[in-house]
Amino acid sequence: MTHPVSQRAIRSFALRRLCAATALALTLASSAHAQSSISDVSALSALPIAISVAAPIAVLSAGAALTVVSVEATSTGAVWVLERASDGTRASVQLVGRGIAGASLAAGTVIACTALSTGYVLSAAGEAIAFIPNEIGRALLYNERITR
Amino acid sequence: MNRAVLRCLVFVAALATSVTSAEAGRSCEQRPPTANAVAQAMVLAERTAARLEQSGANVVVIARAGQNLSEYGLRYSHLGFAYRDDDGGRPVWRVVHKLNQCGSARATLYRQGLGEFFLDDLWQYEAAIVVLTPAAQAHLKAALVDNAAVARLDTPDYSMVAYPWSQRYQQSNQWAIETLAMTEEPAATTRERAQAWLRLHGYEPTTLHLSAFKRLGARVISANVAFDDHPNEKRFEGRIETVTVDSVFRWLERDGLGGPVQVVR
Repeated sequence: MTHPVSQRAIRSFALRRLCAATALALTLASSAHAQSSISDVSALSALPIAISVAAPIAVLSAGAALTVVSVEATSTGAVWVLERASDGTRASVQLVGRGIAGASLAAGTVIACTALSTGYVLSAAGEAIAFIPNEIGRALLYNERITR
Repeated sequence: MNRAVLRCLVFVAALATSVTSAEAGRSCEQRPPTANAVAQAMVLAERTAARLEQSGANVVVIARAGQNLSEYGLRYSHLGFAYRDDDGGRPVWRVVHKLNQCGSARATLYRQGLGEFFLDDLWQYEAAIVVLTPAAQAHLKAALVDNAAVARLDTPDYSMVAYPWSQRYQQSNQWAIETLAMTEEPAATTRERAQAWLRLHGYEPTTLHLSAFKRLGARVISANVAFDDHPNEKRFEGRIETVTVDSVFRWLERDGLGGPVQVVR
């Protein structure tokens, strides 16, 4: 003989247990997954790369503080005009890269220039916003998608 | 269904959604790297290029440490092939590898510079290199410069823990060793044949021991993790076999296809 009320109670209990188990599994998986990838989930670098710099290269020197004068979008990327804070010398930097569209760089932003043996890193508030390679750096950069 | 159960289901659904968006954000978000990360990546790229030039090799297997996999006894997470090319009379090194983007269930082959290879969010700024035998280098080089050849055994359907002896999915390291098999054995024109060659040559994948909770959770929240290509008896015991960098490096040296691992820091 069946007892509808009891069956509902049992179903309800079973559902609650399933809920609890699923929630626990999701929580565990969330914490475990963050550090348990086996083959890389690679995101391509979001960093725009400079393809040309029209300026006396001395504008870009280690420790230089630069201010963004203007930002202009182009069909392949952007052109930034930068001004050295110390003497007002300007540089025009043409950039390409996936990250440009997302970069909310506004006129007046202060950016820092860090010199490397491979080029310069431009950064704002510690975050890299562009890389300007020299000849050594250019040889290390290339990006081609082989399959669609 | 009573109200308490309904609330519970809504809670679980909300939790699943929040976890999924967090994961998607982790791997897909176009967050700029720190200036320090770019500096470290470019220094590693430059040092690796110098070491590759010194090696006298034309083709190597190259790996990076993208995640902390120490709980599985693994050091490196991802590998590809680096080969020496000529760019207007100047030697350059290019890496051909397979990338899974944005945590999706698909992956794509790329040819990149060493800078891009290390300009990812690395766990350790170190590279591992294995120089292949001159014969293996010559066979591989012909494929690496030919986009059609290098994509011949590529399967876009991706699972991070793809079973090494199935053709349903293909993860990054698996594409690499199957392509190596194809270039070593001209008859290995399909993934099935390439896998048969790998078995014949003694390749042994890594066995990961994953609990049921981890398997369930990973499958629920990640599009790039699947277990349905694994044999049931292994899957239900939590024994997940997959192609890891460390297992490939051990096999290359054991089989005489490559030399010892060289680390660049």
